[in-house]
Amino acid sequence: MSDDSKQIGNLPNDKGFSDEDIVKSHVELSKTKHEPTANFLLAPLVFVFVFGCLIFVCSIQLSHSTNSFQLHPPVEIVELSAEEKESLRLDRKISSGEKIFAARCASCHQTNGLGIEGQFPPLAGSEWVSADSAVIANVILKGLKGEIMVKGKKYGTSAAVNMAAVPINDREIANVSTYVRQAWGNDSTEVFEDEVSRLRDESSDMQDQWIGSELRKMFSDSFSQ
Amino acid sequence: MNNLAKFTIGIFFTLGMAWLAFVVGARSQFGDLVPTSEVLDDDGLVPEDAELFPVAISGMAKQGAEEYAALGCVTCHTQQVRRVEAGFDVERGWGKRPSAPRDYVLQEHVLLGNSRIGPDLANVGLRNYSDEWLHQHLFEPQSIFPSSLCPPSPFLYQQIDEPVITDIKIVSNEVTKETRYVRPTVRANRLVAYLQALKQDYELPEVSFVETEDVSVEEEDVVSTDVSTVSVSAPKWLQDQIDTGKEIYMKASPGGGMCFACHQQNGEGLAGQFPPLAGSDWVLGSKERLIKISMYGLMGEIEVNGVKYNNVMAPPGIPPGSLTDDQIANVLTYIRNDWGNSASAVSAEEVATVRASLKGRAPMQMFTSAELTTPIQ
Amino acid sequence: MPADSPDKVIDRSAKLVFSFFLSSAGLWLLTAALLAYVAAAKLTDPFFLASYEFLTYGKIKVAQANAFVYGWGGNSIFAVSLWILARLSQAEVRGSVFLVVAGVIWNLAITFGLLGIMDGHMSGHEMLEMPTEVWPAMLISYLIITFLALVIHRSRQVRETIAPQWFILAALLWFPALFLIAWNGLEINPARGTLQTVLSMWYGQSLVWLWLTPVALGAAYYLIPAILGRTIDKYYLAIFGFWCIAALAPWSVVHHLEGGPVPMWIPAVGTVMSIAMVFPIAVASTNFHATAFLDIGKVWDSLPLRFVIFGTLSYTVSSYIGVVFSLPAVAKITQFTIINEFHFNQRVYGFFSMIIFGAVYFALPRITGREIPKAAKSFHFWTSTLGVLMLLLAYLIGGLTHGVLAGQPSLPWSSSVIQTIQPYFLITKFAFIILAFSQFVFVVNVWRVIFPNPFVYFSANNKEASV
Repeated sequence: MSDDSKQIGNLPNDKGFSDEDIVKSHVELSKTKHEPTANFLLAPLVFVFVFGCLIFVCSIQLSHSTNSFQLHPPVEIVELSAEEKESLRLDRKISSGEKIFAARCASCHQTNGLGIEGQFPPLAGSEWVSADSAVIANVILKGLKGEIMVKGKKYGTSAAVNMAAVPINDREIANVSTYVRQAWGNDSTEVFEDEVSRLRDESSDMQDQWIGSELRKMFSDSFSQ
Repeated sequence: MNNLAKFTIGIFFTLGMAWLAFVVGARSQFGDLVPTSEVLDDDGLVPEDAELFPVAISGMAKQGAEEYAALGCVTCHTQQVRRVEAGFDVERGWGKRPSAPRDYVLQEHVLLGNSRIGPDLANVGLRNYSDEWLHQHLFEPQSIFPSSLCPPSPFLYQQIDEPVITDIKIVSNEVTKETRYVRPTVRANRLVAYLQALKQDYELPEVSFVETEDVSVEEEDVVSTDVSTVSVSAPKWLQDQIDTGKEIYMKASPGGGMCFACHQQNGEGLAGQFPPLAGSDWVLGSKERLIKISMYGLMGEIEVNGVKYNNVMAPPGIPPGSLTDDQIANVLTYIRNDWGNSASAVSAEEVATVRASLKGRAPMQMFTSAELTTPIQ
Repeated sequence: MPADSPDKVIDRSAKLVFSFFLSSAGLWLLTAALLAYVAAAKLTDPFFLASYEFLTYGKIKVAQANAFVYGWGGNSIFAVSLWILARLSQAEVRGSVFLVVAGVIWNLAITFGLLGIMDGHMSGHEMLEMPTEVWPAMLISYLIITFLALVIHRSRQVRETIAPQWFILAALLWFPALFLIAWNGLEINPARGTLQTVLSMWYGQSLVWLWLTPVALGAAYYLIPAILGRTIDKYYLAIFGFWCIAALAPWSVVHHLEGGPVPMWIPAVGTVMSIAMVFPIAVASTNFHATAFLDIGKVWDSLPLRFVIFGTLSYTVSSYIGVVFSLPAVAKITQFTIINEFHFNQRVYGFFSMIIFGAVYFALPRITGREIPKAAKSFHFWTSTLGVLMLLLAYLIGGLTHGVLAGQPSLPWSSSVIQTIQPYFLITKFAFIILAFSQFVFVVNVWRVIFPNPFVYFSANNKEASV
C-alpha cells in the first residue's frame, strides 16, 4: 500500500484504497503469516481463552437445563405403595361418582342425599343403598316403580322413574353407586363395573322397571331393615 | 470460501442443522400429540370412555378465534402460562397450571404471543367474567380499567339510541362521563364466545394443577360497572316480574325453583344432560308448553335447538311441582328475558287457565315430548 | 482521472438499480415511520384514531414491523448488496431492467400485504403476517434479484473472496431458505400446536440474525477499510466469526420460548447457543473497533464512517445484552416486556439502519457523481442519534420496570404495572417523531442527488470536499 492510499476516498478520484486493493490486501492477510514480532501475539490467545470459557459455560448450561431432551417437563415421581395406589384409585372413582350424582341424581335426591319427603326417597342411611350392591345397580339400570318403604316411609305412589331413558354406562353406574354407598355416612362396599355389566346382561329382556317390592324380596337378606 | 458452490453448501449445511433440530426433530418429538385423558390407567393407556382433553372449540368460538387473529390481539396478549420456575404466571392467578404443548394441538391459529402489555389470556374463560363485562371491555376498555392501553373497538358494536333489554350499558370513563348503550354485532359475539372458551381447566398426565397460596390482589381501580343488561325502558311491572322470577330461578330453598341446579346460572345447561335455556327454541316458543312443564315436569327424548336430550326433569319447586301460578308466571317471564332472550311475558292468568285445563292429571305425571305437541306460538 | 475507470463503469451500471431500490427504501422508511408514530401515539392515548378498524393497534404495530423489515430492510439490502458485490467483484451490474421489475414486484407484494393486514387478513405468524397470497410474488422477485447478484459475483476478477462478500452472499442465500422452510411448516404442511410457534419464532428472529445482520456486517467489513485506507485489524479472525454466526445464530434464536409450552430443551439449547455467540460477536467487534480506533479522528470526520461505527457499536452492545437477556434468570423478568422492543430497535435501527445510512452516503456520491452537503448528513446523524438513544433508553428502563412490576403477583395489572410504564410510552412517541424527522432528512438528502432539480444542481456544483 502506497502512501497516498492513506488519502480518504475522494470524489471523483478513487485513488486510495481502491476496491481492488481492498480485496487483494485482505486476501493476502488470509494467506500470509504475520511478520515476526518480539513477543507472542496476545490477541489470538485471548480469543482461544474466551472460546474455551464459553465451551465450559455452555456445556454446564446445556447439561443443566435441557431436561434430557424430554418432551414433558419434569414431574415429581412419587413412588406409591400398593395401599396408596389403591386408595388413590378409590378416591378418583368416588370423585367421578360425585360429579355424576350432582349432574343426574341430585335434582331429585338432593346433593345432601336426603331426597324430598313424600316425593323422592333419601339415599343417606337408606337400607336400599346399603343392601346388596346389585340392588342399587339394578335400580339405576332399569328404574323402579310401585310403592316402596324407605327408612319407614312410603314412596313411589305413581311416578315411575324411567331410568332406561337416561344414558349411563356401566362404569358410570359403578362409580355413582360406589359414591352413594359411601357418602353421607353410608359405609358400604364398592360396586364394580363387571358386576354392573353382568346385571345389565341379565336384565336385558326386561322392558319395564323393577317392581319395588319384588326387587326387595329378591335381596331380602341384605336389607337391614 | 472461494468456490461459490462449496460456500453455498456450507451455509445451507449450518442452517440445515438448526432446521433438523427445531423443525424436523421437534416435529418428530411432539408433532403427533393428540388429546388424552386427565389420568392414564396403570398401563399408561387412556381409559375407555374417559373424557379427552383438550376439547376443540367450535361454532361461535372458532369464528371468534379468526376475529382474534385478524384484529392482532396477539400483539399485546400472550396465551401461555409459563412453568412455575420460569415465571410468575401461576402465582398471578393466570392459570391453575402451566400450559403444556398438548393444550394447543387442536387450535388452528396458535397465538402464544410474546408481549404482555395486556394480561395473559390462556385462561380468561376461567376468570368469571360475564359476557356483558367482556363486551364492555371490548367496546371501551377504559370504562372498566382507566389506565388500560387496550384499544377500544367501537367498530364491533352498534351504538343504540333507544336501547332495549339486551343492550349493554357503557359508562364512559372519559371526561364527559357519558352513558351509552351498545349492541354487539355478530363479530363481537364471536370474539366473546372465543374468549370464554379459553381455559386450561383440566389436568393432563404430564402436568397437574399447581397449589398456590392465595395471593390477594390489591383492588384494581375498577370503575364500578353496572353489568345489568336491563335497560331503562322496561316497564316497571315487567321489570318486577323479571326480578322476582330471577329470585325463584336461583333459589334452592322452599319458595324457589332451584332451576339453576341443572340449567345453570348462565342458562347454558349442561351439554348432553340439561338443555340450555339461553336462545332455546322451547323457551322462546309456546308459553303453554312451558307452563305445562313447570307444573308436571318433563321426561323422555326431546330436541332443543336441534340437539337431542334425554333426561328427567322434575317440575320446579321445593317440593317439586309446588310453585304457585304467580311464581310460575314470574320464573317463566325471567327465563324468556335473560341471557339474550327477549320474548313476551307470562301472566298468572295464563298459568291459571292452563292449570284448569289439566285438572285431573295425576301429580308428578311428567309430560313427554309427544304430549306437548302444541304448535309454536 | 480517466473518465472510464473501472469503478466509474461499475457505478454507472449500478446507477439505475441503486437509485430505484434506494428511492423505494426511502419511501418505505417514511411509511414505517408514520406507522410507528401512530402505534406509539395509540399507546399513549388509546382513543387516538380508535374508531377506524384498519388502524387498530394490533394491526398497525404488525404493519409497521413488516414495512420496516421487508420494505426498508429489503430494498436497502438489495441496493447495498448489489453495489458492494459489484465493486468487490470489479464487475458490472447486469440485468438492470429485470432487477427493477423484480423490485417493483417486491414492493407491490409488500404493499398488498400491508393492505391485507390492515383489512383483517393477518396470518398470525411472526414476521409473516402478510396474507399468503403475496408470498409467491415476494419469493419470485427475491430469487430474480439474488440470481442477478450471484451473476455479478460469478464474474468477479479476483477468485478469492473476502469477508464482506461472505456475509452479503450468505444473507442473500439464507433468506429464501428461511422463507421456504417457514412457508412449508406454517401453511403448506402445517404443524400442529406449539410446533407452529417454534417455527414462527425461528423464522422471525432468524430474519434479523441471518438476513439483516449479515448484510450490515458485510457492509461494515467493506466500508471501514475503504474509507480508512487500512486493512481490517486481526482479519484472520473474520472467517471464524463468519462460520460461528452461520452455525450458532440459527440455534440461538429460540431462546425466547423459555418457560413456554414447548419441550424444555428448545429454549435451553437456544440459550446455550446464544451464550456461545459471544465469540463471533467479540470477533466482529474486535475487527471493527480495533481498526476504527486506530484512526478515530478519521472516523469522526467521515460521515459515512460515523454512521457505520455507531452501527457496529450498537451491534456489539445489543448482541451482548441479548446474550444476557437469554439467561433464564434474567428472562424471568424481561420476557414479554417492552425490553423486546428495546432489543429489536437497537438491532434494526441502531445497528442495521445506521450502517445502511453510512453505506448509502458512501455510495451515492460515487454513483451519481453528486455530493451531499456535509451539514445535511451531519444533521441527519445527530437527529438520528438523538431519536435512537431516546427510544432505546425509554424501552430499556421502561422494560425493566415492566418486568419487575409484572413479577410481583400482588400488583394489579393495568392500574399498577401498565400505569407505571405509561410515561415511557410517551417518551417513545416523541422519539418516533424525532426519528421520523431524521428519516425525512435522509430521504431528502438522497432524493436531492438522485433526482436533482436545477437549483440543487447549481449548488452541488460547488463540490464541497466532504465525504
